[in-house]
Amino acid sequence: MFSTLFGNREARILVLGLDNAGKTTILYRLQMGEVVSTIPTIGFNVETVQYNNIKFQVWDLGGQTSIRPYWRCYFPNTQAIIYVVDSSDTDRLVIAKDEFHAILEEEELRGAVVLIFANKQDLPGALDDAAVTEALELHKIKNRQWAIFKTSAIKGEGLFEGLDWLSNTLKSGGG
Amino acid sequence: MFSLFYGLWKYMFSKTEFHVLILGIDKAGKTTLLEKLKSVYSNLEGLPPDRIVPTVGLNIGRIEVSNTKLVFWDLGGQPGLRSIWEKYYEEAHALIYVIDAASPSRFEDSKSALEKVLRHEDLQGAPLLILANKQDLSDAVSAEEIARYLDLKKLDERVYMFEAVSAYDGMGIKESVEWLVDSMERSKRTEMLRARAGATGPASA
Repeated sequence: MFSTLFGNREARILVLGLDNAGKTTILYRLQMGEVVSTIPTIGFNVETVQYNNIKFQVWDLGGQTSIRPYWRCYFPNTQAIIYVVDSSDTDRLVIAKDEFHAILEEEELRGAVVLIFANKQDLPGALDDAAVTEALELHKIKNRQWAIFKTSAIKGEGLFEGLDWLSNTLKSGGG
Repeated sequence: MFSLFYGLWKYMFSKTEFHVLILGIDKAGKTTLLEKLKSVYSNLEGLPPDRIVPTVGLNIGRIEVSNTKLVFWDLGGQPGLRSIWEKYYEEAHALIYVIDAASPSRFEDSKSALEKVLRHEDLQGAPLLILANKQDLSDAVSAEEIARYLDLKKLDERVYMFEAVSAYDGMGIKESVEWLVDSMERSKRTEMLRARAGATGPASA
């Protein structure tokens, strides 16, 4: 199992988060290195990103309330979750937190490591990584590895630092 | 009746799982230590030191030493991230505090961060292992010198030890873990945590 997953270095990653957090922009920033104009995702986008000798299969799932229940269809065999937060949308951080902890409860995601992108750092009033950590109550995670990065998908900042962490973590045995 | 015996059985024969916090300021070598522990005690490879990046969150290592399970929590040490340390105190059986012994300019920061940790009541009675790390570097000072510098007051009510280690080449690692396991097995805090876990059902770890 271990060798089949990591021997040929492939990883299945889910990108989750509320609507308008920046998931699709992040996906295409990672894949093509540029900013594409996006529309709200209904359903999913999936792309392969080759980085650090790992082939990341990245699934970007639509974040609107009505389609969040379908996220779970994609949970099996996931090695990592990238949870994207709009750091400037302070009103909805509580909802972002609740959705996040609901995901962590999922049996099928028990082994997945968690990477949080505190996105939209380019916007005024965006909370920093420590504040987002607090708001999402990340300290409640005690049985798996997690990391948070400040990102700006528009400027392309922080994303690959996050992928560096992800590839290191997956290579050293995951959560 | 069954559950009574089952509880007793579990109490006596199940492998105890200990939670060990690894703290210290940034660049002390906490994650390098964690990776070294993994490579010494489990068949996992452990990340080579040159691939380790600053931790912004939580790294976890699980190892097994003489029938005892240890779970290490390695938390980021940058100033902005230290505020989450205390959220992990309550469930920790013991504390490893890592100091870069080759970096005197940061001893003051190390000392004040440690004093703050030790003042917190959620860590009461937790065995404390202070590591004078980076002994592979020629200008690293000894564990005794670190102890003298820290000059920690009120440590007498806590089980503690200073150890010179190198998370890079593995010096002192086994001695440290042996001391840790031994201290945790005998500590009052372990009894307290076990009693609490027993009262609230099996600990989910």
